Amino acid sequence: MEKEKKENRSNKYMNPYLGGVFLGLVLLAAFLISGRGLGASGAFKSTSIAVVKNIAPKHTENASFYQEFTESHPGNPMKSWLVYQMLGVIVGGFLSGALAGRLKLKVEHSPKITSKTRLIMAGIGGVLFGLGSQLGRGCTSGSALGGMATLSLGGIITMFGIFGTAFALAYFFRKYWII
Amino acid sequence: MKPRILLAIFAVPLALIIAAVPENTTHAFKLTPSELLEEANSGVQYYSPDEIADMIIKEDPSLQLIDVRNADEFEKFNLPGAMNIPLTDILSEDWQAYLDQDIRINIFYSNGSLKSDKAWMITRQLGYENNYVLMGGLNYWVETIMNPTSPNATSPDEEFAKYDFRKGAGSALGGSAGAMNESTTSSKPALPVIRSKPKKKRVQGGC
Amino acid sequence: MDMGPLIAYEIISENTNLFFAFLIGIGFGFVLESSGFSSSRKLVGIFYGYDTVVLKVFFTAGITTMLGLLFFSLFGWIDLSLIFINPTYLYSAIIGGIIMGAGFIIGGFCPGTGVCAAAIGKIDAMMFLVGIFIGITFFNETYPLWEGLFKASYLGTPKISELFGISDGLMALLFVLMAMAAFWLGERFEKIKKPVVY
Repeated sequence: MEKEKKENRSNKYMNPYLGGVFLGLVLLAAFLISGRGLGASGAFKSTSIAVVKNIAPKHTENASFYQEFTESHPGNPMKSWLVYQMLGVIVGGFLSGALAGRLKLKVEHSPKITSKTRLIMAGIGGVLFGLGSQLGRGCTSGSALGGMATLSLGGIITMFGIFGTAFALAYFFRKYWII
Repeated sequence: MKPRILLAIFAVPLALIIAAVPENTTHAFKLTPSELLEEANSGVQYYSPDEIADMIIKEDPSLQLIDVRNADEFEKFNLPGAMNIPLTDILSEDWQAYLDQDIRINIFYSNGSLKSDKAWMITRQLGYENNYVLMGGLNYWVETIMNPTSPNATSPDEEFAKYDFRKGAGSALGGSAGAMNESTTSSKPALPVIRSKPKKKRVQGGC
Repeated sequence: MDMGPLIAYEIISENTNLFFAFLIGIGFGFVLESSGFSSSRKLVGIFYGYDTVVLKVFFTAGITTMLGLLFFSLFGWIDLSLIFINPTYLYSAIIGGIIMGAGFIIGGFCPGTGVCAAAIGKIDAMMFLVGIFIGITFFNETYPLWEGLFKASYLGTPKISELFGISDGLMALLFVLMAMAAFWLGERFEKIKKPVVY
């Protein structure tokens, strides 16, 4: 019964190789049309900057980071390619989930830990990822995937950094994921 | 068949092909040496002074004269509406948008045709289109347009027609040799922007 | 000689570009979710050996686009000198990668997949996104601390093929072969390992 359920579940997902090809084509389209790869963390960055600008405008005029940003990005920080792309991701993800019947408000976690634990870990992971993505000038979508596609050395280095570290630390966090 | 195998069947041969093909350039079209030789010999690159004079008089907007001599010579004397791209600078990025385009007809000229021919060969080899050479250069221009030789009484009608045209053109374009001494504006003409190559490594603040 | 990228050749306007960004995002999100990237437990499966979906999707996408770009350039359909190539700042690339790696194994998402998962209702993903927001704002606010590291060792935009002194095409071939080897290994490993109930 358990195995059946698992098979049913995984049957609903697209074959990963096919998914990879599709993802590769989407990425290719991005290059063809907009001359750039996909991304994600940049949209969060834009949002953060926009929010801070709105609630503390004086501060943003004086702080070095915001100054640098405004110099290189005049205009509304939210009017950026990545922000629009991410809005699309929300729609696309929702559509796919809806079609596959995967829409459900829940906390997905290993049975060995509680929801609360999972949420805390997710939060911590997010903070780390946010910080790392700024240093790495991108996340897995932008630096790693886009970097690989364009053979960018920096992107590939970051990719190894991400996956290498995750592998190295996996043992220490195993109880959060596996039985 | 396993998806992985299917993928390999596609990906590996494609990768082999792309690895074997010589490093491509972004200019998809370049001439082979024999093509270039053929064009150079056929003289398709030449425009006669008559044709150019005609275009100037008609104020043909597609005409763009390019003086490939150095700046001093350009200052002293140039054809109306000409811009100055010294031959030595011809590969500079500043001029690329003017030379590699498909809106204007560029006519290189120099005193004779040495420099202008060189300019043509270089730009043609880069695959640029729409660049041509003023046959005989300024020397021939002066000879034909500025000081046209009057035909003999026994010459055919067309000689007379040509003479009349040249006489008219000569006066319209500034009279006889020497009268065209004022250099027309030496500023760059407005560029028909077709393709701005903004050297865009797309800016993105951390994806 | 018109070719891609469309925006660089001004074949489309800036606003059209943003609209396409939206469309591309829809494609991106759809594919991610369909492949199972909206589940943190599937995503970390590669690190524990019970789910190789990340390996397969990621690597396949990478080589697909890589080959696509090179072939399109060969046909003169795209000008590779105008596309964005990630710049290389050596130290921040490494350290940023390490920190993200930790974030990945702890949080179980990356920003893109996190948004995807949040879109289908995963509350843990939403927490992750909140975390990202905090992390980024923290960085921005403490920027002077990081600035030195952030800007250190700028190497330009070198390509890995340049590092090894081989052509892009040959590099692509190597990647494809590596990918095929990795897939083969992955599938063998999946066969012999006891399926982990997760």
